[in-house]
Amino acid sequence: MKETLAKFLQYKWSQVILFTVFVAVSSAALFFSQKSVTAFLLLLSSLLILHYIKLKNVTKWIIALGLLFILIPFASSGGPAFQSYMDVATMVGIYVSMALGLNIVVGMAGLLDLGFVAFFAVGAYSYSIFATPQAANFMPFGTYPLGGESFWIFLIIGGVVAAIAGVLIGIPVLRVKGDYLAIVTLGFGEIIRILFNNADKPVNITGGAMGIASVTPPEIFGIPLIFPNQFYFVTLVILLFTIFTVLRLERSKLGRSWKAVRENEIAAQAMGIPLVKTKLLAFALGASFSGMMGVVFAAKQAFIDPTSFTLLESFTILVMVVLGGMGSVPGVILGAAVITILNLQVLTELATWVNQLSFGGVISIPEALSPAKMQKFIFGALLVAFALYRPKGLIPAKNKIFDEKKLKESSTHKDFKTTDQKKIQS
Amino acid sequence: MSILEVTNITKKFGGLTANQDVTMNIEKGSITAVIGPNGAGKTTFFNMITGVYQPTSGDIRLEGKSLLGLKPDEVAKRGISRTFQNIRLFGEMSVIENVLVGMHTGLKTNLLGIFLNLPTTKKEELLAEKEAYRLLEHFDLAPFLNEKACNLSYGAQRKLEIARALATKPKLILLDEPAAGMNPAETRELTAIIKNMGQEFNVSVLLIEHDMKLVMEISEHIVVLDHGEKIAEGNPEEIRTNPKVIEAYLGSGAVQTV
Amino acid sequence: MLLEMLQSLPQVLIDGLALGAVYAVVALGYTMVYGILQLINFAHGEIFMTGAFIGTTFFILLMGMGWVSSVPQIFVLILVLIVTACLTGLLGMGIERVAYRPLRNAPRLIPLITAIGISFILQDVIRFIAELSSGNYIVTGPSLFTDQMTISFSSLSSIFNDASFKTSFLIVLVTAFILMISLDYFINRTKWGTAMRAVALDRETASLMSINVNKTISITFFIGSALGGATGVLFAVQYGTIDPFIGFILGMKAFIAAVLGGIGNIRGAMLGGILLGLLEMFASANLTLLTGGIFGAEYKDVFAFSILILVLIFKPEGLLGKPTAEKV
Repeated sequence: MKETLAKFLQYKWSQVILFTVFVAVSSAALFFSQKSVTAFLLLLSSLLILHYIKLKNVTKWIIALGLLFILIPFASSGGPAFQSYMDVATMVGIYVSMALGLNIVVGMAGLLDLGFVAFFAVGAYSYSIFATPQAANFMPFGTYPLGGESFWIFLIIGGVVAAIAGVLIGIPVLRVKGDYLAIVTLGFGEIIRILFNNADKPVNITGGAMGIASVTPPEIFGIPLIFPNQFYFVTLVILLFTIFTVLRLERSKLGRSWKAVRENEIAAQAMGIPLVKTKLLAFALGASFSGMMGVVFAAKQAFIDPTSFTLLESFTILVMVVLGGMGSVPGVILGAAVITILNLQVLTELATWVNQLSFGGVISIPEALSPAKMQKFIFGALLVAFALYRPKGLIPAKNKIFDEKKLKESSTHKDFKTTDQKKIQS
Repeated sequence: MSILEVTNITKKFGGLTANQDVTMNIEKGSITAVIGPNGAGKTTFFNMITGVYQPTSGDIRLEGKSLLGLKPDEVAKRGISRTFQNIRLFGEMSVIENVLVGMHTGLKTNLLGIFLNLPTTKKEELLAEKEAYRLLEHFDLAPFLNEKACNLSYGAQRKLEIARALATKPKLILLDEPAAGMNPAETRELTAIIKNMGQEFNVSVLLIEHDMKLVMEISEHIVVLDHGEKIAEGNPEEIRTNPKVIEAYLGSGAVQTV
Repeated sequence: MLLEMLQSLPQVLIDGLALGAVYAVVALGYTMVYGILQLINFAHGEIFMTGAFIGTTFFILLMGMGWVSSVPQIFVLILVLIVTACLTGLLGMGIERVAYRPLRNAPRLIPLITAIGISFILQDVIRFIAELSSGNYIVTGPSLFTDQMTISFSSLSSIFNDASFKTSFLIVLVTAFILMISLDYFINRTKWGTAMRAVALDRETASLMSINVNKTISITFFIGSALGGATGVLFAVQYGTIDPFIGFILGMKAFIAAVLGGIGNIRGAMLGGILLGLLEMFASANLTLLTGGIFGAEYKDVFAFSILILVLIFKPEGLLGKPTAEKV
């Protein structure tokens, strides 16, 4: 029985049929139920299953786009929990994008950056300051807040400013030996948070610990974006752009340089790769994705304060990368999705459930052990367990497979080789 | 015509002098060997040429242009490539990717090209891949192109390092003990490869090697270092019979018996 | 402005010394582990924190027993210090065994990641133990050594203000110095100390000289962690209130101290710790003054990190370290 099933599953069409059934059932369940986190998660996990199905890459991408743009928003719109699903999905998008950015730095270039959230903060604040009256406190010209259309420009500005911050941090840091990098970036992450926390005097730039409230919502064709389902699409588009770019980078000359630097700095340098420049590029590009998503985050929340950008956030993103598989784009996407959902949905759901149980007197779990508070423990355990037993993560990074036939074509080497051999023998 | 001129270079690490007033020329297209007992300062000499260390004094010129003050990557771009005594491959990357990294100095793509996947970038990349494959074929490594470099056998790893170094299209290649740890068959194959390298890849060769059979067979010119100083140079025959060299290798008692 | 700074100087010196002594002993743990394994043991700050909690627990337990009050407090302190040091020492050894040893040949990124993981686990475990037993994770120990003392610097010169401190300051300072001096003796004069230095220099050669490398590394972790735990007790005595998150920032500062002094160098760590404590106290007392009110005391952490970055750029080997070049 087991064997026949295994055999059945090997065929492409049987896989496709099962996949379709799975998607249909989970989306129907999601659509018709009042609130079912399970159905929502199952529908999301169909993307993971899709990753493993034996189909052409192009086909897979088309199916994935269909799922993301049409089916998921439609299926979740059935119940009253629509906006909360969309909110979670948006957060997943934001974190996936950030984790992909960190993956460039940690996974590909092998530089342990423990202050990555700083760039997210830079992006978030750059939009928040100018999309509220805050900017009027120190800007000599212009009227603030800027309108909602400025959001689209700020997506780019946020990315660029974060990239510049990355370079500024990188210049002193990347000269030092690799081990110190972790601690220095950790420090920078804290410094940036402290700066934002205190830059309300002498000139009030960031609102200090109070943060910045009522950030102007983005506008497109005169329609303001307020609801999570609107942000879902904005995030999705940026995320797809991120994935696309990251895949490009990975397979390019630059991606290879990063990996070479990670594998052996001295040899990389001897092959003509400038170390500092290559590392700075990793820092800057990784940071820019984070900065862009910072802008989206600020617009979505409409309120930001320094507590959103703590050390724990930096570590959370690192856990995503380690869990998924350092250097592996699909892995990191999975890792980020799992951790975000764990954080936002599973832990809170579990906490409510446990609360109900103890309230009903079934079991008594003290408040201190409430799952919602166990984040650090869970992250810590995941980090240790994965580093010890699965250092390559859930979906290990794979090297590009080169097609031998394609490379052989038009290779005139054959005869060259034979003459060569003769020469050696003579 | 000489491709590399080293004049009076000295390297001091604190009180320790690793190289003292070493002068040598490498003729274009030639195979030159640097030999000497362990600790004679051969690798330090290589490291100075490739920019890993800066000499305390003296000058190094590639085709008349000084290399002083250049970083290793800049030296590589000027046309000097190298292999390492303790193999330094990019272990987790595939065999062909290792060679492709070597080709980076020749690739002109910029960020924009990568983002937009411009046709020129694509074409350049494909050409590089084909060329890398040809290099692998030349070193009999083509069947392993998608294998991780760290999974290759020791001898194959040494060959891959040479292939990677050649991929930078160097004018001068420095081989640091290329035959170390190889079995006799592999060494024989390597000897042939090095011997033909000059013509096939239009490159001059400078190598450090302890295998005297290999050195004597392929070198046109040999420089002997001992205690950081050059004690002799000449063609293999001259070196073989030079009493100073024999003394350095075998001790002063040996000279009389020879 | 200068006058104001001079006035507060005596108090800055006293507070800086107390903080610096804590940094110095914790920095020793970082520097020892780094010296022997080239690993930044991120969990070390958490071991310090665990020590603070174990110590406080013992104090609360012991003070609850009637007869203890007739024993001089100093003996209670010594007892608690020894027990806590042993326990945290074992904890450190355990962490090495479980989380670092299996990874000794892994890429260097990986043990750093487990170290961060362990540090998270410790923080949360201590948090929920504290919260379970007392309902709150912020714990205040019994107040010990609270007699106020004043050194009248003003009698030296009228520029200075008087400096005041609790007896606990003296206890912290003296104990920290005893710990540092005994460690220095241990490293330089004993058989195991020699073994540790040998393993730090060259693990393989040391093992050929019939040194048990694993055991030596275990001992290094034991001693480093015992020192860290003991300092935690001192910290609890000096500052009274502790929470599970004190270790992280303090640990980072201690690491900065270790780098400042020259990582891997025992005496450097001591020097770096004291120096950083003094600088930091000076900064928090005078930053407002120096920058005309733009930056206040809340920037003292920024100040500490700026020191780290300056050191790394201009003298990466630290004050007492020797420059090393990677062998090619």
